[in-house]
Amino acid sequence: MVLPQILLNGVLLGGLYGLMALGMALVWGVLNIVNLSHGALIMLGGYAVYFLFTVTGLDPFAALPVAMAAMFAFGYLLQRRLLNLVVRSALLNTLLITFGLDVVLTYLAQLAFTADFRTINPTYSGANFAVAGLTVPVVRLAAFGIAIALAATLWFVLARSPLGRAIRATSQNLTAARLYGVDPGSLYAVTFGIGAALAGAAGGLYGMVSNLTPYIGAELTAKSFVIAIIGGLSNPFNVILGGVFVGVAESLAALYLGPTFTNVVGFGLLVGILVVRPSPSIRAA
Amino acid sequence: MFPLNRKYLTTAAMAAGAILHAFAGARANDVVTLGASVQLTGSSANTGRYYKDAYQFAIDKIDAAGGVKVGGKTYKLALKILDNQSNVNLSVRQYVQLVSADKVDFLLGPFASNFALSDSSVSEKYRVPMVQGGGASSEIFTRGYNYVFGTLPAADDYFASTIDMLAKLGIKGKKVALVVADDSFDASVAKGTRQHLLDAGTTIAVDRTYRSGAADFSTILTEVKAADVDAILWSGHETEALNFIRQMQSLNVNPKSFYGFTVGVPTEDFRRALGKSADYAFGMTPWLPDAKLKDRWFGDAAAFAKDYQAKFGYAPDYHAASAIADVETFAIALERAGSLDPKAVRDAIAGVSFDSVYATVKYGTNGQIALPQVVVQVQGGKLVPVFTDHFVGKALFPIPAWDKRP
Repeated sequence: MVLPQILLNGVLLGGLYGLMALGMALVWGVLNIVNLSHGALIMLGGYAVYFLFTVTGLDPFAALPVAMAAMFAFGYLLQRRLLNLVVRSALLNTLLITFGLDVVLTYLAQLAFTADFRTINPTYSGANFAVAGLTVPVVRLAAFGIAIALAATLWFVLARSPLGRAIRATSQNLTAARLYGVDPGSLYAVTFGIGAALAGAAGGLYGMVSNLTPYIGAELTAKSFVIAIIGGLSNPFNVILGGVFVGVAESLAALYLGPTFTNVVGFGLLVGILVVRPSPSIRAA
Repeated sequence: MFPLNRKYLTTAAMAAGAILHAFAGARANDVVTLGASVQLTGSSANTGRYYKDAYQFAIDKIDAAGGVKVGGKTYKLALKILDNQSNVNLSVRQYVQLVSADKVDFLLGPFASNFALSDSSVSEKYRVPMVQGGGASSEIFTRGYNYVFGTLPAADDYFASTIDMLAKLGIKGKKVALVVADDSFDASVAKGTRQHLLDAGTTIAVDRTYRSGAADFSTILTEVKAADVDAILWSGHETEALNFIRQMQSLNVNPKSFYGFTVGVPTEDFRRALGKSADYAFGMTPWLPDAKLKDRWFGDAAAFAKDYQAKFGYAPDYHAASAIADVETFAIALERAGSLDPKAVRDAIAGVSFDSVYATVKYGTNGQIALPQVVVQVQGGKLVPVFTDHFVGKALFPIPAWDKRP
């Protein structure tokens, strides 16, 4: 039963990976900002859920929407007051400013929260059940379900709602969107806010399955970047699929090549995919 | 704007340089400065703080007691500390800066073996003694270096007392899983532990090395579960230990009798982060705050632990005690050497033997201290010493399965 269990582990882990990347892919696709502070936003979302859980006693899953709302507000202000200043400038400028933002957020987090390891540890965090000889961890399954649900919501908003039409229109043709009355400044801020809210949800779930320090961001940014490229920037479900793909690949690599090689495979996939199919994902942006 | 001509600028720069040089070169002549580059930020900041706080604490204590007498003259100790941001390359550059630009007199170490391994090359090259309490890997002490001394016991033997205890509990002929990270410390642990396990007559059923910093252990845990082992011996760093235990629980992985960790268990932060899930975990520490450990400056280890907690707001573990021993080594060695000459101090360090809050400090010919690891276990949220070379407390053994716990 080793292989089926490892595939299951990979799929569940991949759902969470996909959710991490979802916000980054959205912001990248619409605003053309490769947000290097995305991992720091995940980290902040994790702390938000941590404090809601430990201080107010709110169940971490119930705290997720609260943390998402807070992260939306934070992301909205960040875009409105800071990133809108550089949004249509050269890629290097946005890379620099989001990199700087990552450093600032990370070190502020250490000042505010110390470098202690924190876990979001509700009584059921270790709960699991057995199905057909497989062990299913409850929290990871829930995280997977939430990832799918958020991707579906995002897809629905983008495809069906007036807001989604405005977002897509802006990313396709800014001038035309403006002629139809879209205010790009506020639209960008809303989009970035949604991206930050998704990062917040991912952070809360990450804190439940792993642990939080101010320094988790850099690695999560890198992972999100890989998955956003593999999944493409156009369809939320593809991002989740990209996450599952990476999760399964890492799990199989740990089994067949050895656990030291998980990152080699993760980033190797990125290189391989850029070589094999360089245009579609980028064109979709 | 008034024109700044090049000649004027050159003169000004030279003057500024001369002034700065005068400041940098002038050593306050009754101060001995110990320099260190430590993880104050970055992924290892949580453990790095022990070194910063303990170094400063020891220096303050020694200075408050009058300082150090070197050849008839009394010196105060001072600390020059830099933040290596948990980056090995930066830490090497900072040690070079400490000895060449900041002109510190002697060096204290960073945290963790991979840092100490690289940084000690600077002390060796510049022939400035380094006493470090953060690196246990045997790689540090098998290069024939003369200027590095270490107050953590050899990583190869971290599991020796644990395996000794398991032998007494009947591990012979049983199946063991060994899970270790791929950094310098853990490679050393793995090498030594494999030998100890073979000597104890066990089968190593799963032997896996993972990437240092890995967050997902589900594949390894699935293999361990399938192999149906009796015991898991795990080595790595604290954040990975937290992930490993939590995932062990959520995947319901239950070795028949035992799991133990090199790092994490003795640390307060670890037990707080895990809550009830920390219970039953075995670990090890070369140090416990025992009143029997007498110290010239701190009284004894129990008093030290109390003062430390009061001063810094968190409990010291062996990292902090080891760092105290590093500073005290210099105080004792300087008095013995009767000079500030690096070579004379180096020779004096090699010959010290003194009691401290940490242990009786005495360096082997390779420069590393020899200390046994006390096996400890988390019982009801408390850390309980269980075994040294005999049982000193009751071990809760075998460890109950996750789903059979109250």
